[in-house]
Amino acid sequence: MSKPLISARSVVRVFGNLKVLNGADFSLYEGEFVAVTGKSGVGKSTLLGVLGTHDPAFGGELIINGVNAAEASSPELAELRREFMGFIFQDFHLLPNLNALDNVLLPAVFSGTDTYEVREDAATILSRLDLRNDNTPTRFLSRGERQRVASARALVNNPRILMADEPTASLDEESEENLFDLLDSLRREKGFAIIAVLHSKKILARADRILELKEGVLHEKHA
Amino acid sequence: MKNMRKAISLWNRGHWKDYVFSQGMLLIASLLLVFFISIGLGVGNILQRFLSSDLPEEQVRITPLGVQAGFFQTERGGTEITADIMDSLAALPQVDRIDPQVYAHVPAYLRGLLGGRNYYTDITLEGVSDAFVPDSMLEHIDWNYTLSDSSVKPLPIILSENLLILYNAGFAESSGLMGLTPEGVIGLAVRVNVGSSSIASLQSPPINIRAEIVCTSRNTALFALAVPIEFVEEINALYLPDDRHTYSALMVTAHEAEDVPEIVRCAEEMGLSAETRRGIAQKAEILVSVVTAALGALAAAILFSAVASAIHTLVADLKNRSYALGVLVALGTRRERLVYIFAFQIFFMSFISTLSGGLLGCGLSFVVSSTLLNLLPVLKMAVSTLAVFPVGWLSAGLGLVLSVSTVSAWFFFRKILATPVTELLRR
Repeated sequence: MSKPLISARSVVRVFGNLKVLNGADFSLYEGEFVAVTGKSGVGKSTLLGVLGTHDPAFGGELIINGVNAAEASSPELAELRREFMGFIFQDFHLLPNLNALDNVLLPAVFSGTDTYEVREDAATILSRLDLRNDNTPTRFLSRGERQRVASARALVNNPRILMADEPTASLDEESEENLFDLLDSLRREKGFAIIAVLHSKKILARADRILELKEGVLHEKHA
Repeated sequence: MKNMRKAISLWNRGHWKDYVFSQGMLLIASLLLVFFISIGLGVGNILQRFLSSDLPEEQVRITPLGVQAGFFQTERGGTEITADIMDSLAALPQVDRIDPQVYAHVPAYLRGLLGGRNYYTDITLEGVSDAFVPDSMLEHIDWNYTLSDSSVKPLPIILSENLLILYNAGFAESSGLMGLTPEGVIGLAVRVNVGSSSIASLQSPPINIRAEIVCTSRNTALFALAVPIEFVEEINALYLPDDRHTYSALMVTAHEAEDVPEIVRCAEEMGLSAETRRGIAQKAEILVSVVTAALGALAAAILFSAVASAIHTLVADLKNRSYALGVLVALGTRRERLVYIFAFQIFFMSFISTLSGGLLGCGLSFVVSSTLLNLLPVLKMAVSTLAVFPVGWLSAGLGLVLSVSTVSAWFFFRKILATPVTELLRR
């Protein structure tokens, strides 16, 4: 087996007296789709926060693309997020005053990589996600539309890993299927890996592996 | 920097009003700072100008407490300066020279043409020595004059500059006459009538003579026209031969400036009033200090609130964007890109706002100064401008406003960047 893109060993994350992650082990390989499930409040978003290097206050070992996240500097972690990962956050985290295209282009613009090709890619992804490419600020979009804008933003930089926190929570069944059809097709095309927090059984069925977070530890449900 | 314009445009979308407001507050703070410094110093200057005296440090002007010169005639009372008193003072070892001054106790008036219109006023004449003629003009002015000279030369007159100010502020303005500057009155030909005025006349027939204003002084009595002393003594002897000879003032010159306090003490012991440069300066200083302190306090209060508002809006603007900063950091934006944006938005634009505010403040001071000088000729006669621009102080003030606001914003920005992303995204 090839080297994992992410390798986490005995990850611990404590909030006060509460051990949310209590020695979680995790690995993610090139092109793999791993789903994480678990009850509400069990720590799935916390796990993604740690794996996505947004939360540096964890214990244990976390290697991402050969970089030890526990020892990496803030600019190194930012580079990992920028060059290596795409994020679909549970609350989308779009800038409400920007339109869909500007939100999608946000990482590229602020990284100085906003080229014509990137703009074309962004427009293509938006259209594949059935989103209007107009000047409507995202604060006026429905939750489902904002979810799709967030998905488009995560994909536009051609990440090696897509991290998605309940990416279909605001979507109807059809949109949910459409989104994962698109993600699957892009995954096959570009070869990125997905780690997603999911609840939908239909989508879970598409995953290569399903991990359940229980009492701070990840348990494999089935391959 | 690549995409910088686009990044700044995206960064400010939906925040332009707040941003423009914060920069506007900075602009107003700078404008007020420059305006108050400039106009405050200008007001200080004009007060100094009105209250200052040319009295040399080693001179003391001694006057009787009860004698006042009015527009129409003199009043007597209290201790007067007699020849004995002058001799006593002259005997003091500290005294180098005494130049006496004498009022003409004779009614008189002046008539002339000012700005093409007839001008008439009752006057008091005061005889003074050539000590009142500025050194630079001594060789051009013949300060010797007796009645026998009336057919060959005009009576030289020294005009009080403070009288000019009063003329400009009162009579000229209300009568629609043009204002006069010290330079403008020199050479003005008038006629002086001695022996009668609008309210009094003596038995002897009046004498009408040509006169000319030869220079101005800040040290002569306010309401009297200074003329050669021998002329006044001649007039007094002619019209009031039995009148007691007294002096209106003595200009006492000490050997050294350090001798002045002793002369003052002696004069005051004799029941006389003594005025020195230091005394005048102290009075002027107190008044100027009170006025400038009041202006300064007002300026400080306005400036403080403007700077506080500028800082508050800059910081509030950043606070409103802490979520957006969190999103950018979460997506892996390089911190130096965010610092560039901050540097442009806060440091560069605040510099531009402060500079613009400073320039607008200069412009406002200039406009206010010009307007006030045009509305109040008395000010125009005294100073050429009310707006003073001390570049060093203004730069320091503007630098302080800029650094206080931007450094506060910078600390807040650093604080946001140091906050964990997960916390920023929760806001």
